[in-house]
Amino acid sequence: MRSLDVTKTAFSNTLRSKMRTFLTVIAIVIGGFTLTVTSGLSAGINQTVDDMLAGYGEEDQLFVMQASAMGMGEDLGPGPQPYDPEAGQQSSTFGQEMLSETDIEFIEGIDGVTNVEPIFFVSPDYLETSGGEQYTLNSLDIPADGPAMELVVGELPERDAMEITIPDTWLTMLDADAEDYEDIDPQIALGETVEIGISNLAFEQETVQAEIVGVSTANLAGIGGAPMPSYALNDELYEIQNSGLDVEQPDAFIQAVVDVDDLEANEQAIKDALQEEGLVGMTLEDLLGIIQGIIDAVAWVLYGFALIALLAASFGIVNTLLMSVQERTREIGLMKALGMSSGKVFGLFSMEAVIIGLLGSVIGLAAGLAVGFTANTLLTGGDGPLGGVGGLTLFALDPVALGLIAAVILVIAFAAGTLPAARAAKKDPIEALRYE
Amino acid sequence: MIIRKTESIIELFMKEGVMSTPVLETENLVKVYGRGPAAFHALKGLTFEIHRGESVAIVGKSGSGKSTLMHLLALLDEPTSGVVALDGKPVTKLKPKAVSGLRNATFGFVFQQFFLNPNQTVLENVTLPLKIAGISKSERNEHGMKALEQLEMADKAKNKATDLSGGQKQRVCIARALINNPEVIFADEPTGNLDSATSETVEDILFGLHRDHGITLVVVTHDEDLAAKCQRRLIMQDGHIVEEQTGASTTTPTAARVPAAPGERPQEQPSRRRRLMKFGKGGAR
Ligand SMILES: Nc1ncnc2c1ncn2[C@@H]1O[C@H](COP(=O)(O)OP(=O)(O)OP(=O)(O)O)[C@@H](O)[C@H]1O
Ligand SMILES: [Mg+2]
Repeated sequence: MRSLDVTKTAFSNTLRSKMRTFLTVIAIVIGGFTLTVTSGLSAGINQTVDDMLAGYGEEDQLFVMQASAMGMGEDLGPGPQPYDPEAGQQSSTFGQEMLSETDIEFIEGIDGVTNVEPIFFVSPDYLETSGGEQYTLNSLDIPADGPAMELVVGELPERDAMEITIPDTWLTMLDADAEDYEDIDPQIALGETVEIGISNLAFEQETVQAEIVGVSTANLAGIGGAPMPSYALNDELYEIQNSGLDVEQPDAFIQAVVDVDDLEANEQAIKDALQEEGLVGMTLEDLLGIIQGIIDAVAWVLYGFALIALLAASFGIVNTLLMSVQERTREIGLMKALGMSSGKVFGLFSMEAVIIGLLGSVIGLAAGLAVGFTANTLLTGGDGPLGGVGGLTLFALDPVALGLIAAVILVIAFAAGTLPAARAAKKDPIEALRYE
Repeated sequence: MIIRKTESIIELFMKEGVMSTPVLETENLVKVYGRGPAAFHALKGLTFEIHRGESVAIVGKSGSGKSTLMHLLALLDEPTSGVVALDGKPVTKLKPKAVSGLRNATFGFVFQQFFLNPNQTVLENVTLPLKIAGISKSERNEHGMKALEQLEMADKAKNKATDLSGGQKQRVCIARALINNPEVIFADEPTGNLDSATSETVEDILFGLHRDHGITLVVVTHDEDLAAKCQRRLIMQDGHIVEEQTGASTTTPTAARVPAAPGERPQEQPSRRRRLMKFGKGGAR
């Protein structure tokens, strides 16, 4: 029997009892669908992250923080901790441990580090528009995050200029009539001057003027969700925040942006050096990798469930084909009597299993893609619940993953088919012909 | 009428060997079903041969081992001991795949139960042996249509096999048995499921093939009329061949019915068609 004939015959055999084939296929479709949606989801998120990284370019930078701030500090166990006057100096409003001057000096001393830009933690009070309206302003984005920011219009603040970006959701402060920020043309914000109010240590408010140069939209990492000052503006605000009292307050930094000479070569050495000091250095890739890691973990859990579904479906195939072999005992006997070898009989029934798998994977993949892309459009579209997250792709096409999914389903289907196929191949033509 | 004894076999073989070569030979063929105390000796050491172009009937009471013998001859089953030789070569030692190939290439089968696949068309059923042999679809269909035409069934080619009458079904089965140009056609009770008129049609077709194409015919039957049309009859009882009759008994039924010259070929369609049509109608009655 030719392979083409085997395939055609197997195909028409699977269509013989349509209901039974359909029900068996459904189980596979569920598995294939879940696998497809999951792979598309993880591909979408990874694509989003990659886009963000691409926007950031190839700058050789490390973001350095206290290891404890990243949840990576030494685990000293519960109970009282020994006091370290150096480290315990300051913490941010959120209780995050900060970098001290000595930490910065240490970082500057590491081989391969060309420049260290310490980032002050600034907590202003309000932002006032030219119209005189005041808005609460508790947190600012860190200037170092600028390169990863998704801009709707305008550009990033100049390092030495008194400039700021605002998120698109803040546009309403410039146009009181608009019902929704999405109705406002972000261009109107550009060139606007705002005043930022901030209290010093003596609780006296001072103001600084800044020009809006860009409008951002929050991305997956949350960057762009708050106004972001230039480095100069951030420093100025920090000056004010720490003035007013006649005491020498040691500087503390929420993080430091470290320029590195040849990041690829020096990355590990610098990270190791930092770790010994209880610091942690991360590239933007590392930071976004944390998000990717979470998504991947979720994806693997879903893959696991889908594979369990496929495993269950494979027993459906075994069951269906065993029934089919039983029903077709005489047909098998006849084929063997007419000279079909056991190998070909095995091939024919395995092929039926593979065709069931193929039907299931085609339908499952198609349904998964259709649902995935529709959901992506609905959720991340302008009006969708996730429409506000800049640059977000929830679902993307990953041909390699799809090919792999189809292959996995076919292999499972084939494996499930081997038992019934072996039964069929073993049938004795005489017994089969005598079978009533 | 010759009562055959083992001692005379060699002598007989020599005598007949001059006339024609045996297409099938057996030597001390034994088939035992089951084991130990439950063992049942269905065949108890049979030695005989079937010559090329011969028509042989295997007759005997129910349970005497006719089907068992036919299955062994047709290489569908393996003997417990003894040898079956095809064209002088013992097949007992061949690999299953080679045996399958031999069956496909040299034998045609007609069974009492038709064994037609109800989901497939008549043409697909008829061409199954060629499909198994790995022949292309167009060639299969060409041969299939020829075989169906030969049996006056061409107009039913596209029908489902279930839509046919019993006689038509058996004709389809014969077409299937014919399609690979077999050397031997094995028929186990080919008329067992048919009324007498239809039986006669089917018998006519089988003997027509035997006569016109020189196909060796091995028929297992209860039907004395059918057995009488065969050149040789092996009469079985309890796993032995107890008697062998040669020569078409009394009058040769085929000769009586077909007055044509001995050189008649199947190309002479008109006379065949008329004859078959008549019986075809009889079968539908
Ligand atoms: N698989 C088997 N296991 C045990 N005994 C068997 C088996 N097949 C056949 N037999 C026995 O072998 C004997 C011969 O069977 P076989 O089918 O050859 O008879 P038969 O002559 O063809 O009879 P019938 O005319 O009824 O078809 C019977 O007694 C039968 O019960
Ligand atoms: Mg029988």
